[in-house]
Amino acid sequence: MSESTKDVVMARMMKDVLMNTLSSGKRYDGRALDEFRKIKIQKGVLKTAEGSALAEVGGTKVLAAVKFDVATPFPDRPNEGVLISNAELLCTASPEFESGPPDENSIEFARVVDRAIRSAECVDVKSFFIQEGKVISAFLDLYVLDHTGNYTDAGTMAATAALMDAKVPKVKDAKIIRGDYDRPLAPKALPVSCTFVKVGSQWLLDPVREEELVHESKITIATTAEHVCAIQKSKGAITKDELMELIDISFKKGNEVRDILQG
Amino acid sequence: MSDKMNDRKLVLPGEKIAEGKYRIPGAFVEGEKTYAAVIGILDAENRFIPLENKYIPMAEDVLVGVITDSRHAGYDVDLNLPNNGFIPSRDIRLTLELGDFVMCKVREVTETGDVDVGEVRRLPKGKLVSFPCAKVPRLVGRQSSMIDMIKERVGDIVVGKNGYVWISEKADIPLAMETIKIIEEEAHFPGLTDRISAFLNIQKKVE
Amino acid sequence: MAGNSDMKLVVDGKRLDGRAPEDLRPVRIETGVLHEADGSSYIEWGGNKILCGVYGPRECIPRFEASPYRALVKCRYMMSPFSSLEEHSRSGPSRRSNELSKVIREVFENVVIAEKFPNTQIDIYIDVLQAEGGTRTASITAAAVALANAGIPMRDMVSAVSAGKADEVLLLDLGKTEDNLGQSDMPIAFSRRKKDILLLQMDGLLTRDEISRMIDLTLKGEAELAKLQDETLFRFYSAPKHEEFRM
Repeated sequence: MSESTKDVVMARMMKDVLMNTLSSGKRYDGRALDEFRKIKIQKGVLKTAEGSALAEVGGTKVLAAVKFDVATPFPDRPNEGVLISNAELLCTASPEFESGPPDENSIEFARVVDRAIRSAECVDVKSFFIQEGKVISAFLDLYVLDHTGNYTDAGTMAATAALMDAKVPKVKDAKIIRGDYDRPLAPKALPVSCTFVKVGSQWLLDPVREEELVHESKITIATTAEHVCAIQKSKGAITKDELMELIDISFKKGNEVRDILQG
Repeated sequence: MSDKMNDRKLVLPGEKIAEGKYRIPGAFVEGEKTYAAVIGILDAENRFIPLENKYIPMAEDVLVGVITDSRHAGYDVDLNLPNNGFIPSRDIRLTLELGDFVMCKVREVTETGDVDVGEVRRLPKGKLVSFPCAKVPRLVGRQSSMIDMIKERVGDIVVGKNGYVWISEKADIPLAMETIKIIEEEAHFPGLTDRISAFLNIQKKVE
Repeated sequence: MAGNSDMKLVVDGKRLDGRAPEDLRPVRIETGVLHEADGSSYIEWGGNKILCGVYGPRECIPRFEASPYRALVKCRYMMSPFSSLEEHSRSGPSRRSNELSKVIREVFENVVIAEKFPNTQIDIYIDVLQAEGGTRTASITAAAVALANAGIPMRDMVSAVSAGKADEVLLLDLGKTEDNLGQSDMPIAFSRRKKDILLLQMDGLLTRDEISRMIDLTLKGEAELAKLQDETLFRFYSAPKHEEFRM
């Protein structure tokens, strides 16, 4: 995703004006600085995937799909299944997304969500062993359908919801039997990410596109109920005090989102 | 098609809207008849009102834009059109900077779609909002009645025919944006003026 | 495609899914479902789930491709790696998606009034999220709605449907199994007012008479689809608050 010249130029103009509004403790859409936009999650939206979910955060929409196949394990982990995460920023989702191979934003997005899921041990890869040289592989695809800001958190929500929805298919003669299920995937933990950007002296949770365009620093913190399971600081700098405060907010907001996921 | 929306008939692209050849926005002529090119409404007087449309610049239109590039010869200005407009340096006395908001008038539109603008004035610091062109007349209102009502409550606003709306930094930006959003959603429904008036009055009381 | 399976696709006038030969699968269309795209639509047609987004007219990139006379219409049809019941497939374009992008673009080049916007491009993005046979005809039917939602001027509305032959019976709207195992498949797109044929492909072996009867069959389908498109747009434009996007 490239920031167009227009965006870069607009950002200069926009920042001061936004900071004015922020100094009164509100954002353009009336939210508090640590408030998510409206969250809506639908599970089981695809029947061609063994697990799926659509997460909407405000106008941002991310579809996650989990599919299982049989694969050869990695040589250094011969008894473990494989989890591969991929993200696609659809051209439809934003005028800034170009067609072509994944760019650095799409790759970072997939890797951060993957890290959160892996650390939280959502997928029990040890249970995916079939026989020597054959394991179950899980493909997680994140499809950004509509980008009005912060597809990262919507992506993590969609991924976690898709894993909650997922059922592991039966395997016979080292082949997947589509449509015949062995057990639900039942992730052990439910990771939720919180992405913050800093504008002026304020940190804002769940930035919309305009806030992303003018931000100086950005950080994503993923939590389970008990632990931090992934951190990705991208642009800019953060102090330790700021980080601790954002971690506290991430746990609080993470639990609220976990309620929605389980609701 | 006989679907009705409050005594008005919804019309899809390709549907006939008049016998005879008429040159109206959002319509095209084929043979001896005029057809809708975009989705719209035929009102009680059989006037065609586009519900979605692309802005086609015409001379004398007042536009709002953003300066996106500054060169010796002049400035590139983003006018919410597929291609940028250009302001030759020799045409204006002010010095503009990247990111400046401007108000200008369309002087000429060439065959290839290039837009020449004049009477360029710089607007102060503020926020730019994008608004669908087909609904701009509703945001302005008859004889500016709607926009004046909003400005009185919210602060300085300039609406460009090109769908760019400038809101002054000194205005109540969140309130302006919310008001504009309501108009965007309900533009083609009756009772909008009363609705906005009531909404703005409630906001006043809240403070 | 060579209809050489032992499986019976039509038994006593009923198809595998219980349909009569001239029945369409259930179709649901929504429009205005995306915030960023200038126009959008989402279609569920049988087991197909397809999202369509339209942008433009906007700057033509690369510049040297631009035409001083008209907008370029561009189309990108893509299938998601999770769209098939079988294995997860590779992301990205395939030869098939390349061909479909082209023929779908050629449908809309006929109706978009491109001369109004020289030196620009109009992008139609079609993403198949779930596939079950007939994705190109569902895509075209959805794209016409998205273009109308985007306010792109068009001379006519368009819809598309397939006809085919299986077990010697002429069928409307082939499902996936009928397409894979049947004798012939013929997707076709029509302009609504003039009934011009804007997309036509076929495979298998058909007589001249069969083709004529299949076209008549698809015209019946076209009438139903036109009605659905109307209802979708009417629903969207007659309500200020939009329905939530349901997948």
